[in-house]
Amino acid sequence: MSNGAGWDVVIVGAGAGGAAAAYGLCQRGISVLLLDAGPRFDPAVDYPLTGSDWDAQDFPEKPGSTGKFTFAPGQKLTGVEPLLQSGSRGLGAFVTNGVRWMDKYHHVRGIGGTTLHFTGESHRIHPAAMKMKSRFGVAADWPIDYAELEPYYIRAEELIGVAGPQTQGARWRSRGFLLPPHPLSYAARTLGRGAAKLGLDWQANSRAALSVAWNSRPPCNYCGACNLGCPRGDKGSADITFVAAAVATGRCTVRPDSPVVRIEAGGTDRVAAVLVGRPDGSLERIPCPHLVLACGAVESPRLLMASGGLANESGEVGRNFMDTLEVTVGALHPDPQHGRRGLPDDAICWDFNAPDAIPGVIGGCRIGNASSESEIKGLAAFALAVPGWGRAHAQSVRRLWGHSLHVGAIGERLPNDNSRVDLDPEARDRFGISLARISSWLAESDIARLRFMAAKSRELLAASGVQEIFESYSSWDWFAASHVFGTCRMGADPATSVVTAEGRSHRWRNLWVTDASVFPSSGGGEAPSLTIHALALRTAERIGKDT
Amino acid sequence: MRRREIIALLGFLSVGGAMALWGNLASLFWRPRFNKHTAQTLTAITDLMFPGDGLPGATELGIHNRIAAMSDLHALITDGVDWLDRRAKQQGAPNFLALDESAKSAAVEAAYASDDVATSQFIIKLRFYAGRAYYSEPVIKSAFPYTGPPQPDGFPDFQDPPR
Repeated sequence: MSNGAGWDVVIVGAGAGGAAAAYGLCQRGISVLLLDAGPRFDPAVDYPLTGSDWDAQDFPEKPGSTGKFTFAPGQKLTGVEPLLQSGSRGLGAFVTNGVRWMDKYHHVRGIGGTTLHFTGESHRIHPAAMKMKSRFGVAADWPIDYAELEPYYIRAEELIGVAGPQTQGARWRSRGFLLPPHPLSYAARTLGRGAAKLGLDWQANSRAALSVAWNSRPPCNYCGACNLGCPRGDKGSADITFVAAAVATGRCTVRPDSPVVRIEAGGTDRVAAVLVGRPDGSLERIPCPHLVLACGAVESPRLLMASGGLANESGEVGRNFMDTLEVTVGALHPDPQHGRRGLPDDAICWDFNAPDAIPGVIGGCRIGNASSESEIKGLAAFALAVPGWGRAHAQSVRRLWGHSLHVGAIGERLPNDNSRVDLDPEARDRFGISLARISSWLAESDIARLRFMAAKSRELLAASGVQEIFESYSSWDWFAASHVFGTCRMGADPATSVVTAEGRSHRWRNLWVTDASVFPSSGGGEAPSLTIHALALRTAERIGKDT
Repeated sequence: MRRREIIALLGFLSVGGAMALWGNLASLFWRPRFNKHTAQTLTAITDLMFPGDGLPGATELGIHNRIAAMSDLHALITDGVDWLDRRAKQQGAPNFLALDESAKSAAVEAAYASDDVATSQFIIKLRFYAGRAYYSEPVIKSAFPYTGPPQPDGFPDFQDPPR
């Protein structure tokens, strides 16, 4: 199928979707060129986590590892939202100018993509959350159902080595997790006692982190620093799972530092090539018998729009943008917890995850131990969160260190006409290509969901025995998204979607998309990486079948 | 630590206010007057903020020198020291350094609470950079449990009550 090109399939983006697509294709005997705009990371060198200054570090930035984008002006905040206003007891409100702060889209460019720094939650989407339009009258239905995706979930989980509990409610399984769940940390069990008082189910989170040795990788040693990068290789980031397995077939060539700046259309219904930017500013043309886009819900639509509006016959490219709807609440417990010990976000409550589980609002959420979202990973961060200075401050830091507990909730984010990704009319990258511009606007239903998430998080903390809530932040006034979806929606109708149920452009027969941009709905707060993997594996089975 | 930095640095302000501050700072004409008096005042404030309380204090660990080496803070610091000296003069002292400990404390509190954004930012940023450096010092961290690096050992006791 190569038509004289060096590879059968060119994949743009080596994150969750591109890596899984590469693996799936290579397993079928198809050769792949896997391109990424960012660098290759070496875990042992780039994030050893053994230095005394470890807590002053974030996930490392390397040249090219962060994309550029812009934001449209933030939404005007209306009303008083005491539960949603980001702030702390010591510092007051963080945002007081009445406009939602468009801060950051958290992502990593590089081989492995954002999975390099993700916490490693490994979730299947709630089956009912795939049918939001037909069952609940909002958003859009997925053109496939959970049963269609389930075998691919299994395949992805087994390669990654996902550890999880026996059951996860509505997320039925044809086979149990192969790895046992991780034991809950001391802090998670403190919260679990609170959950029990409220009658909430509190279970081990399913995690892309090994609870036992798996595929020559060691088990997790519960260092709590997943977001800084895992030097051991027990976290199932895409580089050491899907990419490594694809390369092991001998059919996958990986090229980091290769930003694709344009897609070249062919004669009728096929794309012809991608143009890759070189460090000197020149462009390299790479022919594409098949092209898979997997750059995420911000960059994939950007690339299509910057390529003359490719695959945008419906006008839906860039629309239906959904970002992370999130609340995190921090509190002080009378007893030391030292919640950094153990897997971040190791326990979860799915009770409100179904689309109709929250009273009075459509769209679910999940609630969990948010030791990761708190970002209090070391003494300095904690000390700075304690108000004041001087001797009293020193004594407070000494007295309170280790007493913090955080609960967080992530919820369904419904699409609307005001949330989208388009091309910035002015800002351009070094190749002269317009940057992606993110517009995000919360509807009243999203805000209502946030209120429930915040109230329930506080309720759980109170039931767990905390004495004082000292900080809280939410996406009501602070945009800092990590999960983004929906800008190349999949669907059966070419008039309302960008790609088919198989992930192929409705028009371009050799153009495929395998990232979260194809999600018609976001799910009820589930981490998306596993679903991206599953969709990509499914798409990889279709590519080339009719050519 | 990025969210933590934002909270510590911008948390006292509206984001809109912070942006306005940035605009004001950017428009300031550069005045290189970070002198010995400025450095001595910086040392005194650092000592006041992080005195140690049984552990080595921030100045003992040389934190003030590290702040003084941050040239991008010089304009903010020199203006902040000016503000403190002006306030001291209004109280009959020649400058901030001549105040007794409790008056120094009150002056720093007043600067922090000042309506003048640059003055409050002077204290906020000083607290942030000095505090982060101080509580990152190995000798300070070693006085607290569970502050060592995550690897290579992880936390084998993660299921147990903290030691």
